[in-house]
Amino acid sequence: MLDAKIPEGSLENKWRNYQLKAQLINPANKKKLNVIVVGSGLAGAGAAATLAELGYDVKCFCYQDSARRAHSVAAQGGINAAKNYQHDGDSVWRMFYDTLKGGDFRSREANVFRLAELSAPLIDHYVQQGVPFAREYGGVLVNRSFGGVQVQRTFYARGQTGQQLLLAAYSQLYKMKRAKKVEMFPRHEMLDIVVIDGKAKGIIARDLVTGQLKRFAADAVVLATGGYSRVFRLSTLAIGCNGSAIWKAHKRGAYFAAPSFTQIHPTALPQTSEAQSKLTLMSESLRNDGRIWVPKKKEESRKANEIPEEDRDYYLERRYPSFGNLAPRDIASRAAKELIDAGFGVGRLKNAVYLDFKHAIEHFGLETIKDRYGNLFKMYKKITGVDAYKEPMQISPAAHFSMGGLWVDYELMTTIPGLYAIGECNFSDHGANRLGANSLLQASIDGYFVLPNTINNYLASALKEDHPTTDHPEFEKVEKEVTEQISRLLAVNGNKTVDHFHRELGKVMWQECAMSRNKEGLEKAIVQIEEIKEAFWNEVNVTGGHLEMNTELEKALRLADFIELGLLMCNDALQREESCGAHFREEYQTNEGEALRNDDTYSYVSAWEYYQGDFKLHREALTFEYVQPTVRSYK
Amino acid sequence: MKVTFKIWRQENKSSKGNFESYDVEGLTEDMSFLEALDHLNELLVAQNQKVIAFEYDCREGICGQCGVFINGRAHGPHDHMTTCQLHMRSFKDGETIVVEPWRATAFPVIKDLVVDRSALDNIIEKGGYISAKTGTAAEANAILIAKNVADRAMDAAACIGCGACVASCKNSSAALFTAAKINHLSSLPQGKHEATQRVLQMTRQMELEGFGSCTFTGACEVECPEGISLTNIAEMNARRAKAKWLG
Amino acid sequence: MFFRKSIIALTGLFLCIFLIVHLSANSILLLPEETARGLYNSYSTTLRESPLIKIVAYVLYLSIILHVVYALLITLNNRRAKSKAYAVNRNKENSSWTSQNMGLLGIMILLFIVVHLANFWARIKLGMGEGVGLDANGHVDVYEVTYSLFQNMYYVGFYSLLMIPLGLHLHHGLKSAFMTLGFYHKKGLKFLAKAALVYAAIMAIGFGIIPLIVFLK
Repeated sequence: MLDAKIPEGSLENKWRNYQLKAQLINPANKKKLNVIVVGSGLAGAGAAATLAELGYDVKCFCYQDSARRAHSVAAQGGINAAKNYQHDGDSVWRMFYDTLKGGDFRSREANVFRLAELSAPLIDHYVQQGVPFAREYGGVLVNRSFGGVQVQRTFYARGQTGQQLLLAAYSQLYKMKRAKKVEMFPRHEMLDIVVIDGKAKGIIARDLVTGQLKRFAADAVVLATGGYSRVFRLSTLAIGCNGSAIWKAHKRGAYFAAPSFTQIHPTALPQTSEAQSKLTLMSESLRNDGRIWVPKKKEESRKANEIPEEDRDYYLERRYPSFGNLAPRDIASRAAKELIDAGFGVGRLKNAVYLDFKHAIEHFGLETIKDRYGNLFKMYKKITGVDAYKEPMQISPAAHFSMGGLWVDYELMTTIPGLYAIGECNFSDHGANRLGANSLLQASIDGYFVLPNTINNYLASALKEDHPTTDHPEFEKVEKEVTEQISRLLAVNGNKTVDHFHRELGKVMWQECAMSRNKEGLEKAIVQIEEIKEAFWNEVNVTGGHLEMNTELEKALRLADFIELGLLMCNDALQREESCGAHFREEYQTNEGEALRNDDTYSYVSAWEYYQGDFKLHREALTFEYVQPTVRSYK
Repeated sequence: MKVTFKIWRQENKSSKGNFESYDVEGLTEDMSFLEALDHLNELLVAQNQKVIAFEYDCREGICGQCGVFINGRAHGPHDHMTTCQLHMRSFKDGETIVVEPWRATAFPVIKDLVVDRSALDNIIEKGGYISAKTGTAAEANAILIAKNVADRAMDAAACIGCGACVASCKNSSAALFTAAKINHLSSLPQGKHEATQRVLQMTRQMELEGFGSCTFTGACEVECPEGISLTNIAEMNARRAKAKWLG
Repeated sequence: MFFRKSIIALTGLFLCIFLIVHLSANSILLLPEETARGLYNSYSTTLRESPLIKIVAYVLYLSIILHVVYALLITLNNRRAKSKAYAVNRNKENSSWTSQNMGLLGIMILLFIVVHLANFWARIKLGMGEGVGLDANGHVDVYEVTYSLFQNMYYVGFYSLLMIPLGLHLHHGLKSAFMTLGFYHKKGLKFLAKAALVYAAIMAIGFGIIPLIVFLK
């Protein structure tokens, strides 16, 4: 059993107690300590800037050309905080409970409480940084409701909340760069981690412009590398998002927790061709007024507007009368998948469902709908060329957020001492399903508030040790391994492209390890992925060399890790013989087809160890002292 | 559909570069422009050739990483759009599509269609922030900001930093980019305390980076994916004059 | 660059004001010959003899020189900022031709000014070329200089046609000058855009049509 090192005391006092007991480092000593932060999103930039303010020397890496482009930038909806500005009965406790329940009781009480507790000061911080949150005429902050929560606690900046928060974090980061406390390494990709005497002491990164491998030593390494849903290839994530950093850390000893917990978002734009690279997310808010349906007949050939009411199946309204089109993300996604798989899908590739505003326009008038969703309709038209005021949108589920990630304790440290994982790349607060507007929150809280208060507890001891240098034989060894992997890839000289194998992997993962899973399928998937792995290393063709900018090589390196990660995800989904949150095992459902959780056996966090080329399962027991797990129902 | 891509190829910063033509078949109108380039790259790999380097990340119009000059326009033929939002249906079957990297002295070409835009980061570094350490903020609603002020700040803050303003400007001026950040921060009460230094230092850095000066052609506003208004530059000029002469 | 741009804007605005005065004087030429000749000549004599106008004249020369020199410097700097011209550039789709070609228009106007100064200033003030007589009131007969010049259809064509680039240059220049100097009031700018159009049209048509009318008189 893994120990998350939860501090003692009542739930409300745990974080305070932790801070009281954590070791401190005096300012004169802090500047002798180096920290590497990989990733420059909300978690990474927030942590790098804050650590620099505290006096540490920080090196921050990102693969993009600028820290401002990290994928936090794409979050649209907002960020939750228990401010209770709307006087609607919100509180830290209620937010804690909503998040824990939303995660289907597969996360830690103490972590989730801390998340809710620190949410209010986070909004203060962002406002001070100049984030132009939406305001009332009188000048106070506005909130909206989000993701089926009964209070209004979401703060937003138009449909660009993630961008505005990231720009604030990025600006603070560059302020510290100007102060010479942060050194920036854009266009650098971490390819491996260096562990010396069991402790994380540095990384090997590739300069994406020159192709050179570079060694960087530090007293602690922080991974803030985001989600890995690109394992499905088609996802709402940026094309460059990858799991390589955490995967390399995993292979060097960090446990990987709940890898199979990935959220599938129900309202993305469908795939339109084999060549498609990305599924664009359409805000969930559309489901407030749009009605989702498919034709009743499989071989329907009429255009959407020509199909009469009696030939339409408003399946969410039919199956979930009380929630209807507003059923939670996992439910809505799964229902769509079932109908698409059964042949009722619409669109050229028969892979979408209709989201129809006809009735809403009739009822509220065109102007009201334009006012509410104008920007989304515009975006839809930009991408599809279709006027959604005149015919229904076509939407489809898409891989979105990864709740799973490196296992971390209460201090956000992985099982490798000195290696931290923050933001989406760790598994901590969301359990088996993430609530809307909680991802920006968790990334920010980890980066700004938690890590800068916990890392000192480790670094205080690092102070007494020798500072690592890049001359250490371990750096030599790891760099050589990275070089070998690159050379191997370049030497394959096969006849298939990297994208070909990514498409193959994506198909298997999407079919067997996405919205609904079963034993047989997962076992089959494991075999198929092994085959893909074999084929990839024998048939891929990566053109160009390694000492130059080579985007094909970058993709190949990332895919090599995705393939292995995909295997672990399937193994994880296979071992969890229950349904919870986003993890739906077909064998474990109620008579009505709803998720059937098994708290007696599976109330734990799976944490996988990479062990001699295989995966070994460890467990962290989840105990609920303050809330009683209940069954979610949406009928 | 079938098109001919005429694409700028350049090995690295110091090499000369030239256009290469590629006939590409098997495209569909639903493909995005970048997917068509992906497709072309797969064809190149099949012929054992080096792929074309081009930039992208989010592919949903917000990260600002993509951006090339397509048929004489920044981000292609439409106004207020990023390259990743451009689809092949905007082109005719059989058309020749000329693709060039952003051209500006401050944006040296790294490879093929990839340019170095770190000059923009350098401008931000000189004052594109509000100094407030983590943990020092006052209660959020203690600072009241009228809705119209917040909305205006948001209009300017929407900049995605793609560099289309620089690319489309005949003078390669970064005035719109710089102005947007200055106006976003300096119009908010939190940002007023550093407003004088901010405008002086950021505009100074803008010149040091080798960007040209603004002659108000208005091309930037049209090519800006967020449609950031040209009047921001006039506002920056006013802030600068005030800072310079009145302190 | 901001300083230089401001100088271009300020001198440009000064020249805009000067043009209004210049055009109102020119409109005397539209009156019947007997009134026009006397009025025009006495007006120009008054101008030449006023010490205040002398100062203004020097400011005017200086403005033109600064406007041209700084525009040249800025243009050179802006050229340096563009590493390489695009192989294909459809900038007409995102901006007006005028705004893209202020330098070219400026050179045309400069050419005009040189010819214009040679025709009048050099003859009247510097006494170069053919001598100028006096009118009945004993004033230098500038009217005659003007009148005889515009009997030549090539000069009429030159003076009239080059008012097109002047109008274009003024139209963009006026708006641009205000924004360069930091005028950013939204409604004000909308008004300015209209005002600049009206102003530029009056200047171009006004200056352009007078030689024609004189020619046809």
